[in-house]
Formats: sequence, structure tokens, C-alpha cells
Amino acid sequence: MNALEGNAVQATARFHYMDNLRALAMLSGVIFHAALAYSPLLHPFFPTADRAQSFVVDVGIWFLHLFRMPLFFVVAGFFACMLVQRRGLGGFFGNRLKRIALPFVIFWPLVHLALSWSTVHAAASVQHPSPMLVMIQQFMQMEDAPTLPPGTGHLWFLYYLMIFYVLIWSARSMGLQRLDDSLRKLGPIWHLGLLPLVLVPALAAVSAPHPAPESLLPQFWALGFYAPFFAYGYLLFGQEDWLARARRIAPWLLLASIALYAVFLQLLAGQTYDAEDPSASLALAVLEAYISVWMTLVCLVAGRALLNRSNRVLRYLADASYWTYIIHLPVLFAIQYALMDLDWHWGLKFSVALIATSGICLLSYPLVVRGRFLTALVGSRAPAASAVSG
Amino acid sequence: MTAAFALSGVSKHYEDFALKDIDLHMPEGQVMGLVGVNGAGKTTLLRILSGLTRADTGSVEVLGHVMPADQVAAKKHIGIASEDMRLFKTQTLRWHMDFIRTIYPDWDEAYAQDLLRRFDLRAGQKLAGFSHGQRVKALLLLNFARRPRLLLLDEPTTGLDPVARDEVLQVLAEVLRDEARSVLFSSHNTQDIEQIADTISFVHQGRLLASKDKEVFIDEWRRILCQGTWEGAGDWPEIAAARRNGSMLELKVRQFSEAIIERLQAQGLEIRSTEAMSLEEIFVTTVRSGAAA
Amino acid sequence: MSAFEINTPVIRQLIVKDWILFQKQLALCVTAGIVALCLIGMAKGWSFYLGSLLLIIVLVSAACFSISTSMLVERKDQTLAFVMSLPVSPLDYYLAKLVGSLITFLAPFLVILVGTVAVILLTPLPDGLLMLALLLFGHVLLAYSVSLCVAMAVESEGWNIFAMVGSMVLINPMIMLIGQIKSISSHFEGDHVVWNAPAISILLTQLIVSIAVLLITGWVHTRKKSFY
Repeated sequence: MNALEGNAVQATARFHYMDNLRALAMLSGVIFHAALAYSPLLHPFFPTADRAQSFVVDVGIWFLHLFRMPLFFVVAGFFACMLVQRRGLGGFFGNRLKRIALPFVIFWPLVHLALSWSTVHAAASVQHPSPMLVMIQQFMQMEDAPTLPPGTGHLWFLYYLMIFYVLIWSARSMGLQRLDDSLRKLGPIWHLGLLPLVLVPALAAVSAPHPAPESLLPQFWALGFYAPFFAYGYLLFGQEDWLARARRIAPWLLLASIALYAVFLQLLAGQTYDAEDPSASLALAVLEAYISVWMTLVCLVAGRALLNRSNRVLRYLADASYWTYIIHLPVLFAIQYALMDLDWHWGLKFSVALIATSGICLLSYPLVVRGRFLTALVGSRAPAASAVSG
Repeated sequence: MTAAFALSGVSKHYEDFALKDIDLHMPEGQVMGLVGVNGAGKTTLLRILSGLTRADTGSVEVLGHVMPADQVAAKKHIGIASEDMRLFKTQTLRWHMDFIRTIYPDWDEAYAQDLLRRFDLRAGQKLAGFSHGQRVKALLLLNFARRPRLLLLDEPTTGLDPVARDEVLQVLAEVLRDEARSVLFSSHNTQDIEQIADTISFVHQGRLLASKDKEVFIDEWRRILCQGTWEGAGDWPEIAAARRNGSMLELKVRQFSEAIIERLQAQGLEIRSTEAMSLEEIFVTTVRSGAAA
Repeated sequence: MSAFEINTPVIRQLIVKDWILFQKQLALCVTAGIVALCLIGMAKGWSFYLGSLLLIIVLVSAACFSISTSMLVERKDQTLAFVMSLPVSPLDYYLAKLVGSLITFLAPFLVILVGTVAVILLTPLPDGLLMLALLLFGHVLLAYSVSLCVAMAVESEGWNIFAMVGSMVLINPMIMLIGQIKSISSHFEGDHVVWNAPAISILLTQLIVSIAVLLITGWVHTRKKSFY
């Protein structure tokens, strides 16, 4: 074993919780997307929106939505810093090209085709279509139907990761490393009290809950919202003690976030939708900003306390989570379109869709990915995926 | 033994200056000092040798390679430092050291570290913050640490403070102990050249006035003080300069021999003293007389 | 080794060196490029024009910066003599500069070109606009080649600035000129890209002249007499 491998093993041993948190953020994405079909709030906008729906879904998923991807980007930033320090910028970009850019280029068209095919098929065959499917049906009957520009779909996070990686290089070239120290010196009041305000303009520029930035052109608000989390994770590397110190206040942050979320739901219910200007009110944006930062921190602290370990199950989930996340949406849509005409309770439909999708994705990992060409792109070689921030 | 370099019939014309018909060669393992006033053509000569400028006529060979056609092969073994050669301001000395190391496989890192210490340079400092002396020392370090067979140094000690000058000369003297290494070293400071050179060449107004062993120069020249009157000093080719001071006549003589003393005495002059001349005096006299030394 | 043999390892080091020296400016350009794309992505009239303008500025600055750091500053700061004292021939030096430029200028150029093509073809913008975009990109490429050639061949800083600014600013009359050619400009608002003889001949001229200028530069450079 050479020195580098020794380091890697040591680092892996230390950062199990980061691996596990990333897996959690990815796998909870499957839950989130599966639940969207039963959300009253998203009913008009989601292709697989079902007749069966419940307010309970909205209460759960929009809370998760506020910190799931922020947590993911903190972890991604953390591993990006680790990779840069270990391999240098050249090695970093080589690795990211293979693990992020190449999977994006390969899977984006496949996912896009699969989703389009199942949606067009559903629009033609489903008896109880969602409002989106109805609209698609109408489009299909039009002679000169407008074509929508293709988006990045749920793989938008790969697209933004690539932008963030380029920005790491930009920041280093422009000598911004010195900012590190000044940011690190700021006390917890600054981090938890004032830094969330940085996110407010971004969140106030879009609707609440914030959408997915699926456009092929980068969006200011998405950079303004996710880049600070990524940068935070980048700066956190080597400073993990900070999480230990935040441990005492984490339970309070959790309680405060839940309280703020209650207010958020109240305001959301009273919000009138304006198609001309769908952007969120300032109050909603402020609430979103605080909840996302505080809950991300709660997750990091909890992850460090509870998930800093590895066993066969956790390792399997950590390894398979990237693959699962990439392919889950076409699988999920196909299943949910098939469930649309059934008169089941939303809970049953949700459970079936979730279990079937997760099952197919997780079980296909050893069949399609492990030990094959795809391992280098979206899989993981033993011992664990700590050098991967996808 | 191959020649470190050989110039034959080399000319180079500029608008207001010309290097004319230079024939000069140096065997490997020698140290040659190139002496000349500012604008004499030293730098042009060094540039032609280093491939930075093409001669208009004549042939140039460096370490057995024809220049400029074989300049790549030649430059692998040439180290060049000149006053007007600058390093990259925005980068550190360490960056330059790594850059040179990737290009020359013979780079000696231990020696480079030793030179860093002796020259009192900080590798992590950007070149923009270097003083003139530090810049010269940095450039010499980059050249010395890759141990080239031929060093072409254009005015390396010019503008250095006495301490830096001493550091540079000391290291240079050590470099020269390696007998396989050849150095061509230009300066208008004859003291430095006198300290380290084996051979000395005088350049003036684009021409080579003399090129000889240092000892030969010193042996051949004398200052002779005599008493008496004599008007024929200007007619003797051996007499490069004559100056009258009251009844004393001071003669500076090239190609000195005992026969000259006898011939002077035959002219009715009384010889008071015969002294060896410093290189500087020899140089100044040569330049003033305008003839070959 | 003859004068026409190429010293690849040293050329590579020279390119890496130029890349390192140029990195800061390139980082600025790339960041500004991302901002420009975001502006275009806002899908508002004003932001689209502002973004496009910023994109052109980024392109032109990348071109000028890359020439300026790799050639003009090298001469002005007297680092050229240092570089030429390395085991390189004038041809090696020219190739290093050419390939270095291909990386530092053509890389962002191509990324922005592909991005622009994608935006025009994939968004509701009329596809006919693509021809205007291609002709403008062709102009920037030509202006860059001319500036690079002048930078290599002419030592005067004034002429170099004149060549860079002059050739890039000519993009304005170029836009007007294209507007005057009805057989090209009448299709800009259309739904299809029209490849007709006038458009193709202008594009080909830009491309051929660019390549020719770069080759002539190499020929002139290998015949230069002094490098310091």
C-alpha cells in the first residue's frame, strides 16, 4: 500500500458520515420525486400528478425540499476540496470529467428520451390524465405545436456541479483563497444568523417552493442559492471540528426550523399565484433561507453523530446512490403512469411507486454497474466512494 | 578538444552600430573575459553566440554546433545570463526553478538549494519584489544549477552592490574550478575579469582589438618612465602612448622586451623605472591608441 | 538536429507556462462568460441583449488578453530573451505560441460558439439568426489571427494596440455591412438557416484568410533575425 492509498483509507474512515449523508440526500430525492405526484400544490405542474392526493404530502416534502439539495452541495463542496488537496487541480478535473461530465453527457439524452417516450405514451393512453398530460395531449393534436427547449431534467445538479468546479478554478486563479481565512474566522452567530441572508435575493427571485433549475442556460438564482452551500462545504474540509462545536445548538436549530416551517406553510397557503410574476414574497424567501441553512447544519451534525460508520448495508447504499438517482426518474414515471388509472389510496400508490423504483434501481446496481465499464463513471470501487462527490 | 565556440568573419550591421569581421575562438574549459566600453559590441557578440541574434555574415560554431541552424542542440548546454534578460515578474523563483528543471534533465536541486542559501534568496518570493542584485543572482542560480558546459554571462556584476558582487564572483570562481566548463564573461569592469579570466579579449567599436592569455597581456605591457627629450615616440609601433611631464617621459609599451630598453637608451633616454601595468591601464591604453594590442 | 525538427517537450512546457501566466485573465473571462450566459438565461429582452453584448466583450477580451500576455508582455518585460535562451528554435517558439493560442483563445471561442448555436437553435429565437452569429464569430477569428500575426511580426506596441483594437472594433461596420447585403440579412428573422452563396463565400474567406495569416506569420517568424 503506498502513502496515497493509506491516506485514502484513513480519510475514508474519517468521512463515512459525509458519504452516508450524500447517499441520504440522493435517495431521499427518490422519495421526494415519488411524493410529488400526490402533492396538491404541484398538481397543475407535474406530469405524473395523480387524482389521489393529500395535504400531508405537501407538509412533508416541501420541508425536505428546503435542505435536501443544499445538503448535497455542502457534501459535494467538501469532497471537491478534499480531491483538490489530494490530487491537485489537474487530477481533480480529470476525475470530475470522468465522474460528473461524462455521466451527464451519456445519461442526459437517455433519461430525456425515456421520459419523453413514457410521457407521450401516457398522454395517449391514460384515462385520468394530470393537467400536464392534458396539455401535452392538446399539444400533440396541434399542427404546429411549439417545441419546448430541452432542459437538463433532474440531472441539473450535475450541470451545476460542473459550473462550480470551473468556479473553483476561477477563484483559485484570482487568488481568492485568502477569503477562506476571513470567512472561517467568523463566529457561529455570523454563520447561522447573517449568512442565510446572502441566499434571500436568489430565493426571492423564484417561486416558493423553489423550482428545479432545469434550463440549459445557467440561472442566477440557482447559482446564488446553491453556490454558497457548495462553497461552505469546500471551506468546511479540514475544519470539521466546527460541526462538533455546533452540536449543542443543533437541537434548537431543528426546533426553530420546524417553527419557521409552520409559518412558511401559513404564508404559502395565503399566497396568490401570479403567472406574470411568480416570484416568492420577501418573507417567504427569508424563511426559506433560514430553514435551508439551519436544517443543512442539523443534518451535518446528526450525520456526524449517528452516521459516521460503515457496514455492508450502508456501503451498498452509498455506492449505489449515484446510479439510483440518475436513473430513478424514468423508472418512477413509468410506474406512476401505470398507477394513474387505479383507484388506490395515495399512500398505497406512493408506497408501491417508491418501493418498486428504489428496488429496481438499487438491485440493478450490481447487475449493470458494479465490475463493469460504468463503475468508473457512476459506481464505486472498494472500499467506499469517499473520493467521489457525484 | 572541441572549441567552446569559434567565430569566423562574423559581422552584424545595425542602423547606428556594426560588429565587423570578428574572428575569435575559445577552447573548452577556458574562461574568457570580454572587455569593452558600453556600446563596444560585447552584448551583440554574446547574443550571436547564444542564438538570440543571427549574424549577417561569417560562421558561428558553439560547442561543435553550427549556429543558428543547430541552436536547439547547442542551447541545451549553454547557460545565458544577460543584463537585459528578465524573469516572469508574476511568478516566484521556485516556479522558475521548477520550470527550468522540467526542461533540463541535468538540473541539480541540491546545488540549487545551496545557491539559494548562499545568494540569500527566497524561493517563495515573486520576482516583482526582487531588487536588481537579487534578479541577477536568481538568473545566475537558474543557469548554474543546471550545470551547462558553456556559460555566456553578459555584465553579470554590473550594478551589484559590493556584497552581492563578491557573492557572485565567489560562486563563479567555484564554477570555474570544474575544468570541463567554459565561460565567456563580459564586463566593463576589468577588475572582475582580472580576477577570474584565463584569456582576455578587448572589443571596441565593433572590432576585436586583442585576444590573448591574461599572463601574456600582463607580460607584454610595461610602463617605462624615462628622463630626457625625445620626439620620435609616435613613430615606434611598440609605443602605444607617450606623455611628457616636465622632464619626465612616460611611455606605455606593448610587446615589451629588453631590446626596447636598449633601443630607448640608444635614443639618449635615461630609464628610471619599468613597471607592469594593470589590465585596466592596458585596456584604456589600447582603446585610446586605437590599434591592436 | 535540423532547424525544422520540432522540440515537443519544450514546446509543451512553453504552452504550460503561457497557460499559467494567462490563467488569471482567463478565469476572469470565464466567470464573466458564466454571468453572460445567466443573463441570456433570464429570458428577458434586456437581459438577452446585455448577455450577448457581455459575451462579445468576453470573446474580444479573451483574444486581446491572450495575445497581450503571451507575446506583448513577454517582449515588454524582456522575458522573450529568457524564453529564447531555452533549447528552442524560432519554429518551436512559433508553434508553442500558436498551439498555446489555440488553447487559450480557441477553447473559450469554441465553447461560446457552440453555446450560441445551441441557444439560437433550441430556443424560440429565429434560427435564421445563426448566420449572423457565424459571420460575427468568423470576424472575431479573423481579427484574432491578424492581431496575433502583428504581435509576432511587429515590435512596436502602438501598432499592436492599433491592430487589436482596430480589427476588433471593425465588428461594428461588419454588422452594418452584413445588414446591407439583402441576400443574407433578409433571412435573419426566418425559421431556417439559409446557406446561400454570398454567406458561404464570406465565411470561407474569413476562415481561409485566418489560416493563411497564421501560416504566413510562421514563415515570417522563422526568418526573423533577433529574439530579445
